[in-house]
Amino acid sequence: MDRDPTSDALIQAYINEARQICQQLTRDVLELEQPALDDKLRGKRYEELARGLHTLKGNSDTFGFHDLAELAHRLEDIVLPLRNELRVIPAELADVLLRAIDVFTTRVTSSNAALPSLDGLYEELARVVPSAKPAMPRVTVPPPFAAVESEEVDLEIEQDGWRVGTRHVVSLMADIERLREIRLRLDEQRRNVARVLRAVVKLPGDTDDARLVLAALSHGLATDAAETGELIESFEHQVKAIATLPLATILDPLRRAVRDLCRTLGKEARLSVVGAEMSLDRRILDALKGPLVHLVRNAVDHGLEPPDERIRRGKHREGSIVIRAEQHGNMLLLEIEDDGNGLDDDKIRAQAIAQGILTEDEELSSRDLQQLVFRPGFSTRNEVSEISGRGIGLDVVRAKLQALAGTIEIHSTPRQGTRFVLTVPADLGSTAVLVVSCDDHQLGIPMLSIETLRTVQPNDLRTGRSTVRLEHNGQLLVLYDLGAVMGLRPAAVPATGKPVLIVAARGRRVALCIDELIGDRDLVVRPLPLEIKDLPAYIGAATLAQGELLLVLSPEFLTQTRATEAPALTAKRVLVVDDSLTARALHRTILESGAYAVDTVGSARQALEHLRHAWYDAVVADVRMAGMDGYDLVAELRARNELRELPVILVSAHDTDADRVRGLAAGADVFLSKKECISGRLLSEVGAVIARKERA
Amino acid sequence: MTRGIRSRARPELDERTRELLERRAERLRAVPPTVVDEEVAWIAEFPVGDERYALPLAALRAVVPLRRVTPVPLSKPHVIGILRFQGRIVTAVSLASLLGVKGWSQDPAVLLVVDPGWGPLTALDCEQIPKPTTVPASVIEQARAHASGPIIEIPAGTEMIHYLELGRLLDRRTGARGGS
Repeated sequence: MDRDPTSDALIQAYINEARQICQQLTRDVLELEQPALDDKLRGKRYEELARGLHTLKGNSDTFGFHDLAELAHRLEDIVLPLRNELRVIPAELADVLLRAIDVFTTRVTSSNAALPSLDGLYEELARVVPSAKPAMPRVTVPPPFAAVESEEVDLEIEQDGWRVGTRHVVSLMADIERLREIRLRLDEQRRNVARVLRAVVKLPGDTDDARLVLAALSHGLATDAAETGELIESFEHQVKAIATLPLATILDPLRRAVRDLCRTLGKEARLSVVGAEMSLDRRILDALKGPLVHLVRNAVDHGLEPPDERIRRGKHREGSIVIRAEQHGNMLLLEIEDDGNGLDDDKIRAQAIAQGILTEDEELSSRDLQQLVFRPGFSTRNEVSEISGRGIGLDVVRAKLQALAGTIEIHSTPRQGTRFVLTVPADLGSTAVLVVSCDDHQLGIPMLSIETLRTVQPNDLRTGRSTVRLEHNGQLLVLYDLGAVMGLRPAAVPATGKPVLIVAARGRRVALCIDELIGDRDLVVRPLPLEIKDLPAYIGAATLAQGELLLVLSPEFLTQTRATEAPALTAKRVLVVDDSLTARALHRTILESGAYAVDTVGSARQALEHLRHAWYDAVVADVRMAGMDGYDLVAELRARNELRELPVILVSAHDTDADRVRGLAAGADVFLSKKECISGRLLSEVGAVIARKERA
Repeated sequence: MTRGIRSRARPELDERTRELLERRAERLRAVPPTVVDEEVAWIAEFPVGDERYALPLAALRAVVPLRRVTPVPLSKPHVIGILRFQGRIVTAVSLASLLGVKGWSQDPAVLLVVDPGWGPLTALDCEQIPKPTTVPASVIEQARAHASGPIIEIPAGTEMIHYLELGRLLDRRTGARGGS
């Protein structure tokens, strides 16, 4: 039979709206059940509840679904007197209201003929609220939407357009990446054309025509590159819209799960969610549902104590479960924390011995013991319940996280609670990043962690024996130099007027001195490769407009307490000056193997800047460098009184007598060819020259 | 036309040149010795300082100029930095540093992007673009039977080539960095 498409679309719209309203009603009932809710908020929730029920009633009647309209009407009858008195909804009534909302949702969205009965529900309502009307004999109405193919998946997408397969989105993302490379190639070509143009200008004769053509070509390439850049941004935006959903979509149902489980177990708990508004890859959200449900059920069943016991322990009778979601670059960090029992190390140990995982005389730290809960079949529960205790679960949770290239950690303190930390890469998200410069490096800091930007003012500095503090809004914050934190240079008291960022993470705030502020960017931060992914300093790397990679710093790393310069005081310091990245790496390898503290710079100018602020025991400098070369650097050092005696070892790839003579004549203490930089030779020369200078 | 060619005067050859050409012709006419089909392994050979190194050619994905490498502060000394390669972020490491620094003739100018076979691509710095060449596969196998480290010594004429077992060299799990 042909169906009227307009009517189908209207029914579909009704279904979608009803589903959303039912989700809202569930949230309202859960909140109204809480005695601690203040009156203003309670009034608001009741308003939402009443309004939602009223809309459901009206819409259902309009579409001829009178049984559902009747259900909404009866729920209104129950809720309105409570609203007038702003009463807490009793738990037993909340049970029935929630079940009624579930029944409504099921009947609206399901095309299955075996729908839950309304009669049983009405009887239950009448039992809990005696004034409620009992079940009435009624004509059975056929499932209202059997004719409309209604599925749980992507109703909105189906209604508005097309269903989009994962592989299509992934393919689009790959295309965007390719487009980004094309854009970089355009930039490269434009730079090449500019180089040719500069060369043509210097040619003798009439080159006007050639210059005009090249200038037009350069302009055209620049325009194309800019347009491609705009397209990439637009594509990224659209793909994100297709492929992401708010985290709240999986977190909200957990509130209901906690509430129902507490009712079953005779416990009390409140679930708080921080960061539910962020949007994430739908695939990741889908895969996280199971692990989250498991961890939250675990927290209620294993973690939280019954109310009486909590009171005996001096805790609030109502347990707390907090889910905290944060995006660190393109890593999603989810914490599930409860304030319950915590893990019992003795029980874990006993169980591990019983299962043959540990021997009696084997000692494990508390942290290592706690990791055993992720082993398959491991449970400290003696009895198996419907909820947990079979030892199936945490190992599955970990496996699911690993399948997403994520990790799970457990941190537990006896009688204080347990915290699970889940880390999952979330490629589709982008992060606002502040780009700063430090030495010759550009680094990114997530904007979320930056409270404010200010400058160094001498009156605000408090210099102690080991730390420098900055008075900021009446608070003394430890002031770190980003260059020193990153091991790029020794720490120094920052000069007046230098920019300072106030960075906060995990409840800690520090002041961070940088060299220059470049600007803020919205960047896709990707995980670092295996070789360096364990470095705590970074959350990932992002591609900047010109194609270079930007390392994005971890706010936790920046705000952590650190020793100030202790190792540097004991080790001899060597400054390596070389414009070759690899040569710097090699010199550093050699010198650090000899227990020297090494700083590296890429030019003679930077070396002079470093030497203005910090003391070094020796300088190892390349001879041939762009700009000021090694000879000029030595000459410059020898011309300065304070650096006249600084040992300098010149290193050159060209080992000619002329080079050697020129180097030593310029004032170098030692001249080595790079071939001679075998492990022993450079080390012995640096050691010898430092010792000679110290003796003198 | 043909007349013209025929009539072109042939240059006079001196005695030594004629002898040389005759010997060459003799060699070409000779029946080739019975060649046993020997399996060869293609390798990419390059210098590090004064020594010859090689890696399996199949593992070499690309040779790219050593540019646009972002240094990574606080990383291990052998890490030069990171770079983009075909949409991926790849770590560039100093080969000389990994091998224990035997000195180097010139600052590396290229990066060899290699697939170690067990994990992500890695870029190794190199003084020159490697030359593809072959060695008998049996030589590698024999050398491999007597070595367990990331470098095996294979004879090539009068010299030795240090053949890199990339899996072992780059696999952090073995902890085998440098040395043979």
